[in-house]
Amino acid sequence: MSGETLIELKQVSKVYRPKVKAAFSDAAPGVIAIEKLDLAFSKGEFSAIAGPSGSGKSTLLNLIGTIDAPTDGTIAFRGKTVTNLDENALADFRLHQLGFVFQAYNLIPVLTAAENVEYPLALQGVSRAERRARAIEALSWVGLDGLADRRPDLLSGGQQQRVAVARAIVHRPAVVLADEPTANLDSKTAASLLDMMLDLNKKHGITFIFSSHDPTVLSRARRVIHLQDGRLQ
Amino acid sequence: MLLLAWRNLWRNARRSLLTLASIACGVAAIMFGQSMIKTIQWQLIEKATGIITGHLRVQNKEVKELKFPEKNYGDLPKLEKILAGDPDIEAYEHRILLTGLVSGKNDSNGVLLCGVEPKRDPKVTTMSTYLAQGSWLKGDGKEIVMGDQLADALGAKLGESIVVLAQASDGSMGADNYKIVGLFHAGSQTFDKAIAFVPLAAFQETLAMEGRANDLVIKLRDPERLEEARSRLSAALAGEPLKVLTWREVDEEITGVQAYQNAILKIVLGIVFLIVALGILNTVFMSLFERVREFGILKAMGARPSFVLRLVLVESCMLGGLGGGLGVLTGVGLIAYYRQEGLPLPIGEAMSQFLPFDTILHLRFDWPTHQTAIAAVVVTSLLAALPPALRAAKLKPVDCLRHR
Repeated sequence: MSGETLIELKQVSKVYRPKVKAAFSDAAPGVIAIEKLDLAFSKGEFSAIAGPSGSGKSTLLNLIGTIDAPTDGTIAFRGKTVTNLDENALADFRLHQLGFVFQAYNLIPVLTAAENVEYPLALQGVSRAERRARAIEALSWVGLDGLADRRPDLLSGGQQQRVAVARAIVHRPAVVLADEPTANLDSKTAASLLDMMLDLNKKHGITFIFSSHDPTVLSRARRVIHLQDGRLQ
Repeated sequence: MLLLAWRNLWRNARRSLLTLASIACGVAAIMFGQSMIKTIQWQLIEKATGIITGHLRVQNKEVKELKFPEKNYGDLPKLEKILAGDPDIEAYEHRILLTGLVSGKNDSNGVLLCGVEPKRDPKVTTMSTYLAQGSWLKGDGKEIVMGDQLADALGAKLGESIVVLAQASDGSMGADNYKIVGLFHAGSQTFDKAIAFVPLAAFQETLAMEGRANDLVIKLRDPERLEEARSRLSAALAGEPLKVLTWREVDEEITGVQAYQNAILKIVLGIVFLIVALGILNTVFMSLFERVREFGILKAMGARPSFVLRLVLVESCMLGGLGGGLGVLTGVGLIAYYRQEGLPLPIGEAMSQFLPFDTILHLRFDWPTHQTAIAAVVVTSLLAALPPALRAAKLKPVDCLRHR
């Protein structure tokens, strides 16, 4: 690990307000999901965000991943604030710097495993031949050699989540954000997925930040950040 | 993007096929309707200009009743020289058109009397092709060709003589015996009951109009060059007390019918476009609703809003293009079939009250209007997809991912 700070959150809050007319919005109390959080992540980390349901784990990952905007505070990536970027700049930032793994796999059902993995590269404008080669390589890293041309509905849950991990790492992002990646998997498959992610972290230096409330999963993390009611414990 | 759009299209094959079928039916119906209306219009124009009106008419400048010119013109040889040198003119003849009376042994009838040049007339109009008995005018003295129904009404038969009565140019009544040499049957009551043809020279004598006529009718080599031909002839006749008219001015009722049919066609097209647009809108909205989470994934991966917008529009374009293509094939097939076999329409009988009209329509292609309709369907499919596409593009990734 280099120790370089990749992501830094300063006084970040997220309040969900009910959708009411503007005249009443100030009066509506809202739900505090994240409250004045100061947090930093370094390059090469394999960190977990832990906490019970409703503690703000997913919200925090969404904020780091810039797919949701904080109500207050700033988030910086390699020292540059990203919370003030417009939608296109945020999309470009996610495309080049981040990879996502979701709880429900969220593969595109009409594309094969390789085509799903290729997609971030296609968005980057990488040539067809190169993206195919890199997708096959990424699938190989996650142990799915020979399954490149299968559609998601012909893969098991564990295999689908491995495809999702391959899709998240294929474009060499600075950070992979995984929201409860093992929640839908049995314990054996979950352990295998975690081992694979840890292996990618060690071998290829990919930074992982994932959320979970499963103690077995959390035990694999080098750093565990505990959240309770949107605050660090 | 094309691959994803194409696969998305077939995600719900039944729905896509139904939408394709509705677009295809819409396009085919539009093409068929256009072809039918245009074929009717073409036939109307062809019949009207071919039988009696001609493409261009030259008349005295002071004529007000274009169909029954009340003023004459003279100096025919000078006109002949101008007409002979015009490259657009295929044939022409001088005529005298006059309302008059014909009397047989049973009855008398008011008719339109057409004094025509017997040798030139078959080159200018198709009236002689409707001959049912006897022969066409030869120009040998006072002979007459009339409709079979008129002859029946008069109680006259082929070879018999009847009296033709009309107002001469000096104001007196001109009357002569004319021998029936031919009877025609055009299938139109207006023609078969109320029109008779006599040789121009004989009619001029009856009416004391030697060397004069009141209607010069011209057939063009290319009817599409109507305005160019009229302009050149008008320029050549500048200074003469004459005016050059097109069939559109003489047969105003036909241009009126054309405008009426075009207006109906536009309304029908508008309704079909609306149906096509609603079909696409429904398909695209349903498809978007099912894929909100996927848009969230795409956006989380780094797809810009414009990418999502283009993806939805490309899907819709594919739908419109495919449906349009199928529609064109169906439309071409239908029109080609009825072009060959003919389409029986009751309109023929209705129209033949005024003009000889074929009751079986042999449809024709009208590609300029077909192309416009096909392009309009594709544009409609794009426009119909625009609101849902914009909505998809505006969705926030986090909201999409929360969508159930």
